Amino acid sequence: MIVEIFKKHQMPRLRFLNLDLCAKIIAGIMILVIWQIGVALFAANFVAKPLSIIGVFPDVITDEVFIEATAATLSAVIKGLFIALIAGTIVGVAMGRVKFFDRLLNLYINGFYTMPMVAALPLLTIWFGYESNARLATIVFAAFFSIAMSARDGARAVPPEYLEVCSAYRAKPYHIWFDITVFSSLPYLIAGFRLAAGRALVGAVIAEFFISLDGLGMYILSHTRSFQHNEAVVGVLMLIAFGLTFESTMNWVMRRYFPWYRREGRGA
Amino acid sequence: MLIPLEPIVISDLLHASPTLDEPRIEVNSLGKRYGDLQVFKDINLTFREREIVTIVGPSGCGKTTLLRCIDGLMPSSEGEIRIDSDVVRKPREGVSMVFQHFGLFPWKTVYQNVAYGLKLAGVRKTVIADKVPYYTKLVGLEGFENSYPYQLSGGMQQRCGLARALSMEPSVLLMDEPFAAVDAQTREILQFELLRIWGMRPMTMIFVTHSIEEAVLMGDRVVVLKGRPSSVFEVIDVKLPGPRSRETLAHPRFSEVREHVWSTLMDEVRAAEFEIER
Repeated sequence: MIVEIFKKHQMPRLRFLNLDLCAKIIAGIMILVIWQIGVALFAANFVAKPLSIIGVFPDVITDEVFIEATAATLSAVIKGLFIALIAGTIVGVAMGRVKFFDRLLNLYINGFYTMPMVAALPLLTIWFGYESNARLATIVFAAFFSIAMSARDGARAVPPEYLEVCSAYRAKPYHIWFDITVFSSLPYLIAGFRLAAGRALVGAVIAEFFISLDGLGMYILSHTRSFQHNEAVVGVLMLIAFGLTFESTMNWVMRRYFPWYRREGRGA
Repeated sequence: MLIPLEPIVISDLLHASPTLDEPRIEVNSLGKRYGDLQVFKDINLTFREREIVTIVGPSGCGKTTLLRCIDGLMPSSEGEIRIDSDVVRKPREGVSMVFQHFGLFPWKTVYQNVAYGLKLAGVRKTVIADKVPYYTKLVGLEGFENSYPYQLSGGMQQRCGLARALSMEPSVLLMDEPFAAVDAQTREILQFELLRIWGMRPMTMIFVTHSIEEAVLMGDRVVVLKGRPSSVFEVIDVKLPGPRSRETLAHPRFSEVREHVWSTLMDEVRAAEFEIER
């Protein structure tokens, strides 16, 4: 009822959007102005300020060291996420569909999911050496468990109607796994994958801090320590940009290749 | 929407079948219990070749459960079911089921949904590519092959479910309240569409419904389930002239049978309405 009234009196769509955009831009500018003035008035000279960041931005972005650091970190994150996605889905679906695997692994998957992966990092560096393998391992470690857990929940939540249709048409177990379970648990998988992407990024940066590995994390750390805070902030912005790009890529992929996905939840 | 179709070769089916009056499906003293709850007991029924039998009963009388047992989706507790004299233990070839919940996969298009039964049966891709368009057209979904279920109305979704079942070219079609989830007007259209399709390729059809009108309209015989636990109370020979059409609804025999079934079930329906969860 209320929604109906609201819809009737809604402004034209385009204007509404523009208003929304204006509000966002104004809020952003205000934050930057307060930051600029606040730091200029009260903080030491080396503390990052918006205008100075904009000043160094072109140099940093074209700096070979920065580009290499970005490439190193992001390629590790993507590689790690890919491995975790494949392995996590297989293990999770197996747990969700086969009770035996669930009994076997559930406790440990849950346990490792709860454990802060920073705590395991020293061990991982011993196992994998002070090199990029340890970073990759950290990323996989950080991402795997949330993917496995949500894949398991998704595989358990396959609507009984789907399974009924499958047995009526005499589906083989592998059909149920790969044709039904994987697609039916897609919403869960996506939720898990989003969570995993965030954790993977954290894992990559922390691993670089810990083992002094070339990458964005290390770039931020070393520039902060040498009082080049503006440059360090550009590194942070890069990480944010990656997160946002990941999110919008996911949305695009879903719309493009899984058009049924968003409509499904509305209940037909 | 009536679509001209090339006739299917059913002559073999029609003529090479001396066993017309022999039972195809036999249900012998069948019972089903969930723990302490006995759903139905001592069900004895026979279904003949190319016969439409409808099963009605108050909600909770186990008519859907009975159908699932006949399909082999669910084990019975007592008795046995034989199709062509083989005991049913699991879903078998030649028997297709249409579900009340449609059972379509939202990530598959109409084409892929219709094709999925054939794919599971291991039918070759080239054969699937022949059959799917035929059955999609037969149920009136031509032009919607690439639509997803969420884009279709309930009636169209069930047409898709029907096409999937028919594409298996079953000799037994099990209908589990297939039109219960579509609106009343669509339901009427679908009933006559189904009769039209059945007329083109007659098969044994067991049709479970809670609508008495539907049961009388569709069925050659109507099985009335009643009692707690339920059992077969009556099997009515409908004896309405075929093919059934809208005129059938105005036939005096139609209202006679409908009233008879209704008065048989009224007490039970009322009791079922006021039942609380145990």
